[in-house]
Amino acid sequence: MGESRRRLTLVAVAALAVGVLLGFGVGWLVPRLTAPGDDSAEAGFARDMSSHHAQAVEMALLAYRNGENPGVRQLGYDIATVQQAQIGVMQTWLRDWGLSPTGSRPRMAWMPDGQQSLENGLMPGMATPQQLEQLRNAKGRDFDVLFCQLMLRHHLGGIHMVDGVLSETSDGEVRGLAEGMKAGQTKEVKILQDLLTDLNAKPL
Amino acid sequence: MSTPQGGGGSRRPSVVSTGKKPAASKATPGTKATKAPVKTTGGKGQRKRIAPVKVSQGRAWGPIAVLAAVLLVALAIIGYASWYIYQGSITWDERANGIPGIVNFRKTQPNVLERNHQPGSLTYPMSPPVGGNHNQIWQNCMGDVYTAQIANEHAVHSLEHGAVWITYRPDLPADQVEKLASKVRGQEMMLMSPYPGLDAPISLQAWGYQLKVDNASDGRIDEFIKALRVNASLEEGAVCSGGITVTGTTPRDLQTGG
Repeated sequence: MGESRRRLTLVAVAALAVGVLLGFGVGWLVPRLTAPGDDSAEAGFARDMSSHHAQAVEMALLAYRNGENPGVRQLGYDIATVQQAQIGVMQTWLRDWGLSPTGSRPRMAWMPDGQQSLENGLMPGMATPQQLEQLRNAKGRDFDVLFCQLMLRHHLGGIHMVDGVLSETSDGEVRGLAEGMKAGQTKEVKILQDLLTDLNAKPL
Repeated sequence: MSTPQGGGGSRRPSVVSTGKKPAASKATPGTKATKAPVKTTGGKGQRKRIAPVKVSQGRAWGPIAVLAAVLLVALAIIGYASWYIYQGSITWDERANGIPGIVNFRKTQPNVLERNHQPGSLTYPMSPPVGGNHNQIWQNCMGDVYTAQIANEHAVHSLEHGAVWITYRPDLPADQVEKLASKVRGQEMMLMSPYPGLDAPISLQAWGYQLKVDNASDGRIDEFIKALRVNASLEEGAVCSGGITVTGTTPRDLQTGG
């Protein structure tokens, strides 16, 4: 009787110890395991949208410096500062999730039908190297028109990618920023269209 | 209850056998419930009283096995998860240093990796350069694929910003050049240019790191990019746009007007 009771106590203590360890283990693991993984839509979005934004910043700063129309210069400043800040947020996510800024999968692979939306390997709405060269060399009204045309396409492509991540994620942080991007860029699409009208030009 | 049944059993076997089973199962529940009826079917109910003890020993293995299995599964999950997290926690420099053939100048020659702005042509102790003093203007590295040679002095500034610079010997076959270009085009923090006199067909540079390979399909190229692009930056948040896009090996100094 005494021996079996002692054994029972031992088993109970062992079970408690194992239970506590398991509890700590699970508590430690869960936040790490529930963070988006390397192949997740969230990580793919953070990486690809950072690249997409980086080009918008490049074009927007050209507009701030070379734009003739004050509206173009003002919009350039706005786009450059907002999107560079958003890049910082997305890069911080990746670090918090323990992920590299560079992924292992092809760009846009995180998005359903994402890879079909690539044009010559470029993400939706991205300007080609030739278009960028053209923009760098353009002046006056030509610059303003080309900038508005390119940025309009860029924003529409960006909104398409935002819709892609919104259909894939339930992560509150990601959804929050994505919805903010969509609202902001949709508003800017209208501004760009109005600028094109003022410039007596049409979208590409 | 047990005595009358036992006696009855010996007198009228056929009838009692049906009556016995419920009785026996009523007697046993106190000790063991479910298997009791099965064991008593052997025949003589009274002698089988001892049997439940043996059965109880056998039964204990069931829960133990289940428990062991659960524990094993739990351990396996924890083990896998820990490994998964460990993989994710490898730092970028550990990842870079794990690439076979990579040269880490930050470790071997940290003194050559100065980072002052200097005008004019500069000399570097390694070719192509992976760091050191450089021109005030960086080479645009927004996925720019330069088809002519660029100035080291601008490219090194791009490396400081976190870019990976792919260089190739001009005799590299066109399909391999295109394969490299596809890793660069549209990808900020990447730039590429031919490099006459290179001592390998392809050489990759990040600030303080270099890897020379023979073929564009070498898997280490992607590993190098994954480990070092952006991560190797000395100026976190620095960008690749706003740089110079002209080619030619002579650096262009900023015109300050003074």
